[in-house]
Amino acid sequence: MTEQIDKALKREYEAGFVSAIESETFAPGLDEDVIRRISAMKEEPEWMLDWRLKAYHSWREMEEPEWAHVDYEKIDYQAISYYSAPKSMKDKPKSLDEVDPELLRTYEKLGIPLIEQQMLAGVAVDAVFDSVSVVTTFREKLAEAGVIFCPISEAVHKHPELVKKYLGSVVPPKDNFFAALNCAVFTDGSFVYIPKGTRCPMELSTYFRINEQNTGQFERTLIIADEGSHVSYLEGCTAPQRDENQLHAAVVELVALDDAQIKYSTVQNWYPGDEEGRGGIYNFVTKRGIAHHRAKISWTQVETGSAVTWKYPSCILKGDDSVGEFYSVALTRAKQQADTGTKMIHLGKNTRSTIISKGISAGRSNNSYRGLVRMNPGAEGARNFTQCDSLLIGDQCGAHTFPYVESRNASAIVEHEATTSKVSDDQMFLCRQRGLDPEKAVSMIVNGFCKEVFKELPMEFAVEAGKLLEISLEGSVG
Amino acid sequence: MSAWLDMALNGAPINDSLVSQRQQSLALLRAARWPNRKVEAWKYTPVRALEQIDYSAANQSTAARGVDAVEGLSAIELVLINGVPQAIAGELPAGLQVRALSEGEAIAGELFGSVKPSRHIFGLVNDVLAADGWVIDVAPGVQIETPLRIVYRTTEAAQAHGRVLVRLGDKSRLTVIEQAEGTEPSMSTYFSEFSVGVGAHLEHYRFALQTGAAMSVGGCHVLLAERSELHSTLVGFGSDLSRLDVDVIHGGEFASAKVNAIYLLDGRELFDLHSTIEHACANGTTEENVRGIAGGQSKAVFNGRIHIHRHAQKTLAELNNRNLLLTSGAEINTKPELEIYADDVRCAHGATVAETDKGALYYLQSRGISRSQAQIMLNFGFINELVDAMPNAALAQWLRPQLRARFAQMGDA
Repeated sequence: MTEQIDKALKREYEAGFVSAIESETFAPGLDEDVIRRISAMKEEPEWMLDWRLKAYHSWREMEEPEWAHVDYEKIDYQAISYYSAPKSMKDKPKSLDEVDPELLRTYEKLGIPLIEQQMLAGVAVDAVFDSVSVVTTFREKLAEAGVIFCPISEAVHKHPELVKKYLGSVVPPKDNFFAALNCAVFTDGSFVYIPKGTRCPMELSTYFRINEQNTGQFERTLIIADEGSHVSYLEGCTAPQRDENQLHAAVVELVALDDAQIKYSTVQNWYPGDEEGRGGIYNFVTKRGIAHHRAKISWTQVETGSAVTWKYPSCILKGDDSVGEFYSVALTRAKQQADTGTKMIHLGKNTRSTIISKGISAGRSNNSYRGLVRMNPGAEGARNFTQCDSLLIGDQCGAHTFPYVESRNASAIVEHEATTSKVSDDQMFLCRQRGLDPEKAVSMIVNGFCKEVFKELPMEFAVEAGKLLEISLEGSVG
Repeated sequence: MSAWLDMALNGAPINDSLVSQRQQSLALLRAARWPNRKVEAWKYTPVRALEQIDYSAANQSTAARGVDAVEGLSAIELVLINGVPQAIAGELPAGLQVRALSEGEAIAGELFGSVKPSRHIFGLVNDVLAADGWVIDVAPGVQIETPLRIVYRTTEAAQAHGRVLVRLGDKSRLTVIEQAEGTEPSMSTYFSEFSVGVGAHLEHYRFALQTGAAMSVGGCHVLLAERSELHSTLVGFGSDLSRLDVDVIHGGEFASAKVNAIYLLDGRELFDLHSTIEHACANGTTEENVRGIAGGQSKAVFNGRIHIHRHAQKTLAELNNRNLLLTSGAEINTKPELEIYADDVRCAHGATVAETDKGALYYLQSRGISRSQAQIMLNFGFINELVDAMPNAALAQWLRPQLRARFAQMGDA
């Protein structure tokens, strides 16, 4: 059985390759000047630059958090380059035909040919190659519905009133170390606005990909769902193989106004490092949504990549009767470390939240669930249910659970439960007795373990997620 | 650091046979971070109140006051008044040795700090300042039928530190009741360490019943050898500052631990229970049940950590924490933690926080029972399961009226 485990764990990173595209990249280092240059390249208005500089100054006062159950070498923030753009982007392509063919091939290798996606899936794609949005499709169809879906750098120019009002309203610049860094140096990301009472006609999607060596990616996403609107947003990412650690410190802000619904789904498959834990992405992400009266925010994530993950998609349930959901599958193998979970802050009356978290650890990895459920004094009649399950594969890995429960309202009900187990010999025996080979059996058992989360994913993503897990776990238990 | 600590440490450490261990702890203490909101183990429990007190060793009186006996329980009474051991009445059974810590027996040196982890900051304070206490040794194979009842008494305006060290020889059996109570303004640290031998059985109780201005930070730390057993019951009321750290370390295979805990809070009280179960060896079992009720503007904190080490395969560990929040002014903070490094284990934990079931209240009221009486009945029912599980019936009998009185008081608030 050990052989099978070894074989499975030595799986090479499928998306590991480097595209040879010339890039314009800043020299490593971070100071006020770098921020001014980023701002100037984006031709940003004065207020945006001021905002960045303020964030930068608070970041300098802050300390890198150390409470997470992860262990990595200290990051030298002066050794990182804070801007990189594919050169062929200087003259922005007007359509897919104008896009650098090398770039398109990169996407094809990843299995997401844009044209195919447009035609087959009916998905509008705002693809991010390194730090500049390459192409945005289906704009017109969205425009008809009044939906704004564009790079955030464009929104700063075209919709300054919305950006000014909501940027930093959910994750303020001083929120935490990585969020402050993102505020100072973010290069691009997506901006979505769904007008009142509108149901977004298609699933919105961004494809992130880190390419240039030594460049951190600092994406910034802002989604505003106006009263009574509805949107489903997909985010997926893979990254080429690298030997040096790459920092990814994104910020995602969701604003769901009264009666609005936002569903945010992520499949994350950044490069996890090699068998010895060399290289791999540091994924330090701040994701948070604010739900007003009767609004609903739903986070679904499938996390299989990154060397170190530090990520807690959260909901602030501010309005009465608002709903927060968090569905997560996190898989770690080799020497990956993940510290992920959610925060549900119940402020309004009759707010409800559900947390379903499935952690799978294999190899020598460590997988932690860290969550907070807080019932504030005003959360009359609020309700939370949390279920965290961990599955251990092999005796060299770790699975941990750190749930914080804080209740200050007597009428609120909080329930938390967690279990840890392994793929049992009985389950394996039963499957093998029925003629399944060990690989299939494990894949089936793990898929069953994650079913509650997968069913929350949009169809296209559910397929991708299932495939990711299958590849990761081929024959790793017996 | 803390002005209180600086004052308390004045003249420390005590120059006795334990001086080298005390010095080590002093060094650790000076290097440690003093509790504040950013120190994870003290996130919810402020110790600011310590800075306002001016209790000193000078106030210590050892004026003995009779210890209230527990009806129906014939126990060997070991009394510490402000940390100073009082004379033991009567004969000790054969195979049981009880000495004062200050007598400087060799066994004290062996046990002192051998079980208690050094991360407990007030445990370090106790290492440095506890001049006296009890050292208890049970010879191998001896079954002591009479329980030992250790009473921690802190007098008004006193600052007291006491230490209890217990060794159970292989295949021996012992019952230890640790009881701390009082409402007078005071500050105390009482820490106990138990080394349970191969196949030995320890029945343990800790009643942390200080209320009002009686501040207390204490701990019980148990090391279980192969095939040994622990049955522990912890009961806590809250005070201006009341904190209990419990460690159970499975240091041998096939050890089993059962820990039941109850905390009942009212007024502006605070109670903080931190329990850590370390499964360092294979085939161990742990079952932990914690129930809490918070009324008034009180604040309850529970942190229950289960840590399964790499080689602790075939471990079974369960932790269950259920809480009743009676009023919206009160606050419950709970964090059951699992940290698991072995794959062939079964671990689970659960935590709930809710108010009393309205349907049950209504039902009782519809049967002519007043609301406050119904509330008391339901509260009592919530924790009685754990009181019933106490192996010592006389002790359970003694505890019930106290809990009932507590509930009546909580109902009034």
